[in-house]
Amino acid sequence: MAGIKDLGVGIGWRSEIDLTVERLPGVDFVEVVAENLHIGHLPESVTLLLERGVPVLPHAVSLSLGGADEVDLHRVEHLGAVAEAVGAPMVSDHVCFVRAGGLDSGHLMPVPRTKDALDVLVANVKLAQRNLPVPLALENVAALLEWPDGELSEGQFLAELVERTDCWLLVDVANLYANARNIGTDPERFLDEIPLERLAYVHVAGGEQHGDIYHDTHAHAVLPEVLDVLDELCSRVAPPGVLLERDDNYPSDTEIASELAAIRAVVDKHRG
Amino acid sequence: MTKQTDTQGAWLSAEEAGFLTAGPGRAAEAVLARLIDQGLLRVSRDGLVSAVHQDGEGATTSVEARMLSFARNPVQFDAIVLATRNCTEVAQLYRQLLSRELMRVPHRRHDGRWFSLAVAGVAVVLGFVSPVFLVAAAIALGFFVWQNGSGPITQAGREALSQVQASDRVHVVALYGFDGRFRGKDVGELFDFPRRVVRTVPRRPARARRRSIWNGGGCGSSSSCGSSGCAGSSSSCGGGSGCGGGGGGD
Ligand SMILES: [Fe+2]
Repeated sequence: MAGIKDLGVGIGWRSEIDLTVERLPGVDFVEVVAENLHIGHLPESVTLLLERGVPVLPHAVSLSLGGADEVDLHRVEHLGAVAEAVGAPMVSDHVCFVRAGGLDSGHLMPVPRTKDALDVLVANVKLAQRNLPVPLALENVAALLEWPDGELSEGQFLAELVERTDCWLLVDVANLYANARNIGTDPERFLDEIPLERLAYVHVAGGEQHGDIYHDTHAHAVLPEVLDVLDELCSRVAPPGVLLERDDNYPSDTEIASELAAIRAVVDKHRG
Repeated sequence: MTKQTDTQGAWLSAEEAGFLTAGPGRAAEAVLARLIDQGLLRVSRDGLVSAVHQDGEGATTSVEARMLSFARNPVQFDAIVLATRNCTEVAQLYRQLLSRELMRVPHRRHDGRWFSLAVAGVAVVLGFVSPVFLVAAAIALGFFVWQNGSGPITQAGREALSQVQASDRVHVVALYGFDGRFRGKDVGELFDFPRRVVRTVPRRPARARRRSIWNGGGCGSSSSCGSSGCAGSSSSCGGGSGCGGGGGGD
């Protein structure tokens, strides 16, 4: 896939930290939430980053590709239009559903890992791909529960999804860590099972433990344990890019810079 | 907070220098500048100011703590200046400047100045009757000039302010305001904000360094004198009535 190789280290662009993102040293690429952008009215900051040659990748949160409802092609078209507006080499969303029966959950809900659910997901992904101008990457989500009667592990589920749709994978190592903490999944097994040659890039994010539950908040510091999962991934494959997601409770520029530096250190360690 | 001193030992923080230079709004601007400078406040391109820490961490003065509390949720650049300008902590800052005799309450001295002018006018008319009244007119006029010429800044305040240098961008804001000019450049450029962000702060007429609205030449002799009513009246400062008259950029 042209243009996606060697993205480097990036950060999720958010309007609250636009000047920070522009000023931070070592931001090689950014991700924008596609639903927050309006075609024809790109934020000045995003335009400035594009002029500097910083790749801008649209990330969607509302396609609900894992849902039984028909894919809303207006949302797909908007994602594609954002990709064209920013000249992105790819777009992404999640392996999840956010709507069911006309109701919006407001959360990225995990998909039951059954053959039937996979068939639905595959059909939706193929429909989306046909209506997108660039390749689609799909991200593993954090789950607080597992649907009963799962027939596949998460890694097997994603591997089969890639096999049948030729999509790319966006691996969120913070979500892998959250799932390990909350539902006992094994990040190493996940990494063993997915086709790493289809890795588009990686997400890293912070979270917080509340009682027995680890919350993938994107509003707290990145835990060393999450960087350990990144380290494990990097020991297997050189990821084309690694992106820090921060959505709230933004720390100082210095703290953000040091999180990016910590991510880069893990990546560089394996590039030797 | 970095302080600068005069030869007589009157220490001025940037917020104090801002207050002496142009009133409570400028003090608020100086506080905003320092908190941004220290990475304790973040400004976005659309002019939203937000606190980096939710617990007020990093504040070194009560005004700074107040401004950080205002910015727990994102707030517009001009709104946070206005809110801080009107807060009780800035009123307290003013009282401290009074107690240190860097400022005085000007109203008392201004009381009756129009009476002096009226007396002078009547005396001039009576001067046609007897030249003695012309002497009285001169005295009354002199008294009027004296009353008008004294602003709320004391001699000690002026001396302290004269020692404050625009040695960093925080003090540049204190002395010239975010929307001012310094060494041929817009002060806002020192912070790399889009120009429209600092333009949201209401602008006061440019005035020369040291000829602040508080000193005799700037305030007492011009129509902008009404704004000195803030610093001159502690009851209006901090009472939410809008210290500084025209806006936050004073
Ligand atoms: Fe993610």
